[in-house]
Amino acid sequence: MAGKSLPVINPVDREYWAGAAKGELRLQRCRACGVLQFFPRAACTGCLSSDLEWVPVSGRGKVHTFSLCRVPRNRAFMDEVPICVAEVELEEGVRMVTRIVGDNRDQVTLGAPVSVVFMDTEDADIKLPVFELA
Amino acid sequence: MLRKKVCLVGYGSTEYSRKSDRPLLSYYAEAMQNAMAQTGITKKEINGFSMVTQASPDYSPYVAEQLGLELDWVLNGDCGGAGAVCAIRRAADAIEAGYLDLAFIVAGNAFDKNVAHQRVLEYQRANYVDVYGYGGPNTLFALVQRRHMEEYGTTLEQIGKIAVSQRHNAGPNPQALLRAPMTIEDYLNSRLISDPIRLFDCVMPCSGGECVVVASEERAKQITDKPVYLVTDAEKIGFQASNMLPDKTVTGMSVVGQHLFSEMSRDNIDVLAIYDDYPIAVMMQLEDLGYCAKGQGGPFVDDHDLTFAGDFPVNTGGGEISVGQAGLAGGMLHVVEALRQLRGEAGERQVKAAETALVTGIGWLSYARNLNTTAALILERRS
Repeated sequence: MAGKSLPVINPVDREYWAGAAKGELRLQRCRACGVLQFFPRAACTGCLSSDLEWVPVSGRGKVHTFSLCRVPRNRAFMDEVPICVAEVELEEGVRMVTRIVGDNRDQVTLGAPVSVVFMDTEDADIKLPVFELA
Repeated sequence: MLRKKVCLVGYGSTEYSRKSDRPLLSYYAEAMQNAMAQTGITKKEINGFSMVTQASPDYSPYVAEQLGLELDWVLNGDCGGAGAVCAIRRAADAIEAGYLDLAFIVAGNAFDKNVAHQRVLEYQRANYVDVYGYGGPNTLFALVQRRHMEEYGTTLEQIGKIAVSQRHNAGPNPQALLRAPMTIEDYLNSRLISDPIRLFDCVMPCSGGECVVVASEERAKQITDKPVYLVTDAEKIGFQASNMLPDKTVTGMSVVGQHLFSEMSRDNIDVLAIYDDYPIAVMMQLEDLGYCAKGQGGPFVDDHDLTFAGDFPVNTGGGEISVGQAGLAGGMLHVVEALRQLRGEAGERQVKAAETALVTGIGWLSYARNLNTTAALILERRS
């Protein structure tokens, strides 16, 4: 049986995953126009420049929305249900899809402050940015 | 913009099934045969053809070879659930430009193991969503619905009324896979899939096919005495795509609606065929189309009867959530139901004096947003 889903790391997002593996959340910023964006892309969503740099961010934010998922698309995740899939709005002004972890994840509410932690995966070289209630 | 003399002249549907080992191509063929029987068009006359598909082997030229079609115009229809509406728009463009006077537009799904039905997840979905153990579109719509409920006080009873009304509409529809009566309690008690999305919010995948025939007015008059005209149409793709803090509850349909209803009053629409992969999607589209203010979809639903006999008939054949979703034929199903109503062929579920219909298509769930593709048509029966 196939394992839990892992990212297929590519030249566009290699730095993102390298940062996560070291416990650092990094976003792309456009050197030409300054736009900060997520998810990582080949070009800037503000001006289409390919001159992008990686900047570390605070990892602090608040919950924009969430769902307690009981039926994951990839059934290899069934041992973890209900999984709190959430969108977190970072202080820096981007929103990301993530997961809220911790024994108190059933207390998640909209607007709750959260901070990033890095979760081990089935691949020792890959860590996933997830969030805990702050 | 108003269309110049483009008509929808017929349709063909197949039986839907939850379990079938029929090849996908046989569904395409049957839907086309049924449309040929209805319109009297022979196979040799078909010179325009579009497949609406996400399954890569099913590109239009491949299907043309399989089905023995010799063509002057093909289109591979993309845009996901909005694909049927978008393909009709492209065919209308070609007809107006004079390159085409007849097109068969086809979509379908089967559990045919020889075809890659399930698109490989695109990069952003694979690397940035699926890794967290999300539940596919069920979770993506749950994230939207949670926001709608919390921001506007929308209740499960209001959202559920849409599902219950559509199930009522499916009762007299022999094509629908889910026809047994459903109460609001049934809806509320259905098991949670990805909270707050529950089982009776979700479409059921099935096999089946749909075909719609588009023609120039001149050709239409030779084919049918019930021509349905394309009045106006619009699409919005990539709504909020560069906004890193997008509004979860507003969709591109807000822009589409402005285009459509600058040409005809929304109050003149008799039948609404609103793409319904989830009831919350129907509610948000009604808001974005301007039938009520953003966030007032709940009270709007409370105040109206959405059944085929009601004052605001929505998804009169049961929609995808009661009929079943045969892949991208889900988008075509809404066009076909609108044609049945406007041609007076809807049987027991016929809406009285149905002359105009709105058909929407939505699809391609975008990262941290909602719908990447939104499109709609206004259709009118003119005798």
